[in-house]
Amino acid sequence: MIGSIAPDRIAPRVMMLSQPVVRIALHPGDRPLVAAGDRVEPGQPVLERLRHAQVAEHGLRGHAMPAPGTTFAGGTAVAGSGRRTLRFDGAGEVVCALPGGHVRAVVSRHLATVESPVDGTVVGLDAAALSLRADGMGVTALIAVGEPACGPLVVAIEGPSAELRGQRIDVRHAGAILVAGSRIDVESLTRARAMGVRGVIVGGVIGTDVHALRASIGRQEASIHASPPFALVVLDGYGKRPIPPDAWEALTQAAGQTVGLATTPPLVLLPSDAAPYAADRSRVRVVSGPYLGRTGRVLEMIGLRRLAGGVYRELARVALDPVVPPGAHDIVELPIAELERHG
Amino acid sequence: MTSGAHPSFTIDVGSASIAAALIAPLDGRRRLLASAAAPVAVGAEPLLRDLVGRVSAADRAVLPDAGRWEDWPRIECRTDPPPRAVLAGISERVLEPLAREFTRDGWAVTATVTGERAQAYETALAIRDPDLDLLVVAVPDGSAHDSAAALLAVVGAVASLRPQLPVVVSGGGATSVPGVAPERLLHGHGPADTVAVSRQAVPGRLAGREAFVRSVASLAQVLDLRVEGVDVGHEAGTRAMAGADGILRRIVLAEGALVPAAALDDQRLLDAIARWSPLPDDAYVIRDRLRNLRIAPWRDATSDGARLRLAAARAALERLEDAWHDDGRQHGSGLDRLTDRHGHVPATAPDLLIASGGAFAAPPGPATALALVDTLRRPGAMVLAHDHARVLGPIGTLQDEDERRRLLAELVDTALLPLGSAIVAPGLRAARRGTVRVTVGGATTSLPLTPAAVQVVDLPPGVSATTELDSPDDLFVGARARRVSFEVTGGLGGLLVDTREIPLRLPDRPERRRAYLDAWQRPLWTNAEP
Repeated sequence: MIGSIAPDRIAPRVMMLSQPVVRIALHPGDRPLVAAGDRVEPGQPVLERLRHAQVAEHGLRGHAMPAPGTTFAGGTAVAGSGRRTLRFDGAGEVVCALPGGHVRAVVSRHLATVESPVDGTVVGLDAAALSLRADGMGVTALIAVGEPACGPLVVAIEGPSAELRGQRIDVRHAGAILVAGSRIDVESLTRARAMGVRGVIVGGVIGTDVHALRASIGRQEASIHASPPFALVVLDGYGKRPIPPDAWEALTQAAGQTVGLATTPPLVLLPSDAAPYAADRSRVRVVSGPYLGRTGRVLEMIGLRRLAGGVYRELARVALDPVVPPGAHDIVELPIAELERHG
Repeated sequence: MTSGAHPSFTIDVGSASIAAALIAPLDGRRRLLASAAAPVAVGAEPLLRDLVGRVSAADRAVLPDAGRWEDWPRIECRTDPPPRAVLAGISERVLEPLAREFTRDGWAVTATVTGERAQAYETALAIRDPDLDLLVVAVPDGSAHDSAAALLAVVGAVASLRPQLPVVVSGGGATSVPGVAPERLLHGHGPADTVAVSRQAVPGRLAGREAFVRSVASLAQVLDLRVEGVDVGHEAGTRAMAGADGILRRIVLAEGALVPAAALDDQRLLDAIARWSPLPDDAYVIRDRLRNLRIAPWRDATSDGARLRLAAARAALERLEDAWHDDGRQHGSGLDRLTDRHGHVPATAPDLLIASGGAFAAPPGPATALALVDTLRRPGAMVLAHDHARVLGPIGTLQDEDERRRLLAELVDTALLPLGSAIVAPGLRAARRGTVRVTVGGATTSLPLTPAAVQVVDLPPGVSATTELDSPDDLFVGARARRVSFEVTGGLGGLLVDTREIPLRLPDRPERRRAYLDAWQRPLWTNAEP
């Protein structure tokens, strides 16, 4: 410790989680295909989900009421037997019995499956959610859009600050998870989905593009044919933001292997044999201001200082890594609120 | 809990940041010696160690036992994200007052459902939300039997799939919910009683914000003043007014957060926040910066970021103000003493207005003072202060009222940073001029009183003054008068004399609006240049 305040005053950001738990929320009518304790692998169907679900009612005709939450396949008996069997036109789930002797259910003739994004174990299953514990590591993210997805990881850019242009996405990337650098625009996202890409990992994204992607996914869900799941996972926030160095290191190490994207919480799930990334806790990353994305090492904690506009902030003197080697270290004084500690 | 003879800490653990203060006896009374705030991920221990180190470095004699700081008492308060509730009722008319009561108590009402056939899927989806904390079923006395039975059938069946989910029945129209075990049920009568009962289902989740309200009430007693406290945090905003009779009103509002969670997907809400921003950036850039303020609130807190943060704080205060007035209109007679005969304009300003919470941690004091005056507009004079060390929440957790008052009385000088005083006096017509006379210790300074403007009079902390407004038109300062006089005290922002209208209306054209905001705010930021 040098100076008046301790380096542990700089906020840590945990980029890597060991064996994270991811959650898939259950909708009415969802039929789990796994049970608590089951092993799952990436791409394995874990839920059958109703598409275009509708509410239907049927007279009970004196049959015993099936328990709420009972799921049924299309054309199978929900209650009774023989000619008076109660069937719905499609698969679904019993919601409730009504006072008039009717049963109300959520049904659909169109089904889709939800795939596991992880290699791991089912650790929880109830009416609200399916929880999976991954065997490997999770890279934490701040935003996720879409559905859980998995595929081979392709690092499609040269460095964490680069941007992936739409023209560079083609059919070779079908089924893959792309690492797309510091930002991706909605045109590139649209092209990626059209090419069969299963997911995109990016440092930052423009908010309006997130809305456009959500709307596009919504429109696709409303279509007759189900499309493969797609997820966008944003590691560092809105705007153009370089991929954090820890995450970049872990992602480049996992290139070519099957990885998963979870949306709750937002995570990139690395395979169990991925080497855990040993973060250097003495290093910091600049998370806002003119030096955004630069990394470096704290030389000295300076203490409380008055900045422009009368704002008081605690500062640290930081040796920023050269942008293009070989070069001199930039030594700057930065508010510790603009720094994140690794690990 | 605390001993007057030994040092102690207060710790306010928020959703985004953590604040700590070191309190120790000095010259026979407890004083706040140091405070600091940091992102919540830093944790309490580094902050406390730092506080002890700073004070010891300044004067080792103040903390003779500094090596044992880890054993010193800690008064801790924690604020959690708002608990989430689904409200089900036989009609929208039944649900409306219930939803208002829940949202004013700090709950996030994630869905309101009426159990109609068309809503069966949405009902099931809402109740199966994995993050749901409570289900409320409202069936008032005299409800139609068929409607009540249909609602209870749907809601009860879905709730039976969530055996851990607490269920509250509101009203006397139902005593049970089919499929839900009686021991899971809680019962409330009217909306207010239902909210009170519902708190039992989420023990402690709202305690931190209640603690702040308790401290405001105790402070009003200690100072024998009408005190208003407003706390804007990452997950919710709290506003409370207290007087000699205790708490007059309080609201806790999830929408009162600095950037509410809903703003991530609600562009109109973001644009409403951006209306307060004097920054000339493109709208989409401002929106993304505001979204970042939501998902990573500690970042971007200097330079333009501090201004944007204060714009978000203004918008949060505005939402609290709207809810406050909305409540006033709903509650009627109990608020007569606070509102005018139209129920819109509060009759007078409080004696003391205190700002608290992480939203005010970044901006300089004078700018914070103007933000309060811009949004919580009350005619009359008030003293403005900042709970800079965020001690009010932790002190409110002390159960012993006497101990709470004693501690507040001892800390009031050091824990409440004087931001200054404000006189809000609309009424001066365009192109007319009045006079402001500020008398300090026999010396009088005269300034012109201009319409629709905010003027800053330099009045340092600790200095008291008599201020007279002399106007050719009636000024509205609670009552209408052409010549009024107030006793005011100074602070970091001095004295603000504000003749702008109530409420403050901003131009619709962005360039013009930004020009106004910049003109009002520039003196307070510029004066704060190092």
